[in-house]
Amino acid sequence: MSNIHGKVYAMNAITPMKPWKTWVLRLIFFLLGHIKPLQNDLINLSFIEFARWVIIPRHRFPQLGNGQPKEELKYDYLLFFSNFNGTWNQYIDAFSAVLAKGLNLVWRWSEKFPGSVPVTLFKEYIARVQFDTDYYYTAYPHATANDLKAAHIVQTSFDSLSQRAASLSPDQFAEAYLTFKLQVQGNLGETGEAPVVF
Amino acid sequence: MSKLNETDIQGFVLRGYNLPFARFLFLHFVDAGCARTLIGQLLPHITTGQRWDGGKPQSTLNIAFTFAGLSKLELPKATLISFPVEFQQGMKDRAAILGDCGANAPERWDAVWLGKQVHMWLAIHAQSAEGIEARHRKVAALLEQTRGAVLLDAQDAASEQIDGKQTTREHFGYTDGFGNPDYLGVDRKSQPGQGKLMPDGTWAPLATGELLLGYADEAGELQVAPVPHILAGNGTFMVYRKLHQNLASFRTFLEANAPLYTGGKEKLKAKFIGRWSDGTPLELAPDAPDQSIAHDPSRSTNFTYGTDAEGTRCPLGAHMRRVHPRDAFGFNGRLINRRRITRRGLPYGRFAAEGEQISDAEDRGVIFMALNASISRQFEFVQQQWIEYGNDAHSGNDKDILAGNHGGQGKFVVQGDRSLSNPPFICSNLPNFVELRGGDYFFLPSITALEMLAMQLVDPR
Amino acid sequence: MPNQNGSVYGLTILSPILNDEKATPSHDLQIRRYLATLPTGENSPFAQAPGTHLARLVVMDDVIYVGMPACEEHLKSKYLIFESNIDCADGNLERYLRGLAETVPEQVDAIWSHCVGYPGLGNIKAFVDYMKACQMETTFFFAAVNDRSLPQSLQALQTQKAVAEFIAMHQGMEPAKLQAEFVAFAARLNAEPIPKPGSMSSVMGSRREIKTGGHNE
Repeated sequence: MSNIHGKVYAMNAITPMKPWKTWVLRLIFFLLGHIKPLQNDLINLSFIEFARWVIIPRHRFPQLGNGQPKEELKYDYLLFFSNFNGTWNQYIDAFSAVLAKGLNLVWRWSEKFPGSVPVTLFKEYIARVQFDTDYYYTAYPHATANDLKAAHIVQTSFDSLSQRAASLSPDQFAEAYLTFKLQVQGNLGETGEAPVVF
Repeated sequence: MSKLNETDIQGFVLRGYNLPFARFLFLHFVDAGCARTLIGQLLPHITTGQRWDGGKPQSTLNIAFTFAGLSKLELPKATLISFPVEFQQGMKDRAAILGDCGANAPERWDAVWLGKQVHMWLAIHAQSAEGIEARHRKVAALLEQTRGAVLLDAQDAASEQIDGKQTTREHFGYTDGFGNPDYLGVDRKSQPGQGKLMPDGTWAPLATGELLLGYADEAGELQVAPVPHILAGNGTFMVYRKLHQNLASFRTFLEANAPLYTGGKEKLKAKFIGRWSDGTPLELAPDAPDQSIAHDPSRSTNFTYGTDAEGTRCPLGAHMRRVHPRDAFGFNGRLINRRRITRRGLPYGRFAAEGEQISDAEDRGVIFMALNASISRQFEFVQQQWIEYGNDAHSGNDKDILAGNHGGQGKFVVQGDRSLSNPPFICSNLPNFVELRGGDYFFLPSITALEMLAMQLVDPR
Repeated sequence: MPNQNGSVYGLTILSPILNDEKATPSHDLQIRRYLATLPTGENSPFAQAPGTHLARLVVMDDVIYVGMPACEEHLKSKYLIFESNIDCADGNLERYLRGLAETVPEQVDAIWSHCVGYPGLGNIKAFVDYMKACQMETTFFFAAVNDRSLPQSLQALQTQKAVAEFIAMHQGMEPAKLQAEFVAFAARLNAEPIPKPGSMSSVMGSRREIKTGGHNE
């Protein structure tokens, strides 16, 4: 059982929301999904591999009969699942430092949310609403989001050069090879083990 | 924010003394009562942060304690456990986190760091070797008189003197001493590039609480600090690391790689760190050093990486860019404001001229000290995530070429452009240019806190 | 379509866990126990079945009480959460679920047999319907890379390492020789099989010792 696998951390959090507030949040997520520039900050915080929010209305927990009792809840629930690189502290510190407004927009509708700034109370809240992962799999434990993006750039450049390589004269090749190096030079970081978590 | 009471803060925290000689004494308390008396006797001699408007003193004196030392002084248990976890454990127990394995492992450290016997660090800085000896004699007399502590070890350090003048060069030949942060209320004048980047492109001092406990920090709060507040306030934490430098390996490595690098040896050497040997930043002068920039405080550290996103002027993994990314992560630099450290230190060991016959085994290196309000959030983070790892620098697992614990492996990529004088280049099979020979985490109390320690007046709550 | 982001799909399934007081240990504990020893590397069921970038399984015991003045309330069932980030460019979830059922039936049974209404794998369509009945819509799904499949990602990582090594070892070489070596290198690299998912081992040779924090291998 671990929240961590290789370079990626699986965070799970659940927070209660008064049902009328859920509709506001749905609208916010709708706008976030359709207005791309709002996602820029998330993209630029380049340590998230995948993240999702799932709203579970209080009457919509899966109910399959077979004697399973129906849930009777007052609150809707907001589930959050993140797959990020780095440590728990690093992750929350970064969000609190640069995405405070965005975080507040999403979580202010959850009961007892203290705000994402300052960071100490925010960390206490997350620690309280976080629950642990039983099984965590990643197809690329040795690579971070940065490594993946870099790798795709290298693959594209390599494919382009290797297709033409044999048909060029040596001098043309030397020129093309230099261009290739310039394209990939910022994307060659080695992959491997993650630093020890602290 | 309230004005700092400079008479309450130890001078070593607020100022780089810029004195050319230093001696660091490592002491062990034998008896708590005698140790307290010793502290009381040392108090009148401790250099505070009061400004030297009348000229520099002949010598200065400052003290700090490990967790083992505070425990030996019989602070209440509840007070002791309110200190941060990393400080309680001490640097040796954090070796895995810091990447202090292999050549840097505690088993290879100087003997003084065996066990947890170091309780107190006592630093003498002076204008001359005689100044050091004079202070040392006085301290020795106090040790004798109070029987407060025994001397375990002494470490000397001194800046390189060229033609009788003090320099800030270190053994590899780089000019050191740039880039310490400016803090609100601490520095009289702010140097552009040293504080935090503002949205309009200017630089402002960092929040005082990033250096000193008891003040607002960059996260907009009074950070968690040991209790009682009066013990922690105006104090800070110090990381002490003795870094041996393998000068022979460094020079050999440069010689071996320079022929393949068409930009030349000096430029390759500059690419490792991000500055030419004279201190000129590559971002401002990518082709050749420029003394007019290096010697001008309004320019020598006044730059950002925004126009060099590819790393063609200053490599993405260069030492300076790793430890102070400025705006390289976007968001106007806000992600790095809580990861800054104040660096103090001096080289130790004999300086060797270029071309001189030398060996890695010779005793030389730098005494590195980092001051910060939170060792784990500041120093440990930089060491683990930015020196021994490269993801934030878009360099995967690649380590800092100068300080990284390479073990003969790894690589350093120099990004370049089409010109022959600035080609892309990869250095491989990196030796350890720097090896850790020991150190620990210390708490540097305020003068008030020292008085409380001396008089055993520290409350649990 | 909020579950979809480019060519990747955010699958969120909440399966109610059987609540049988006579079961010892209880079904949720049995799932936990099984998951604790299930391999997370190359031998993971998600490495063997196709299409999974990242996936997690979490036994959710209950909702969390955040403290007064919020009300304390409890779930009547425990739920097994399956959160998976998968290749699914056309939104056709059935192919992925089918892949699980056909490639790793033993593991799927071992996990979901503890859940309410699990029909077994005798009838694949019934299994797919069952999983879809437990599917929650992902309200907002973010992906750093949303336009590359899993095999493409694994191949790219292999290429990245090989290219770095090639560049480092061929500095200062004259053009004709460099070209010949590159052509040979490209042929070799293109012939390399795509690395196995879930593996920490490097490519074209050396194996690394795994030393990450607390996973199951």
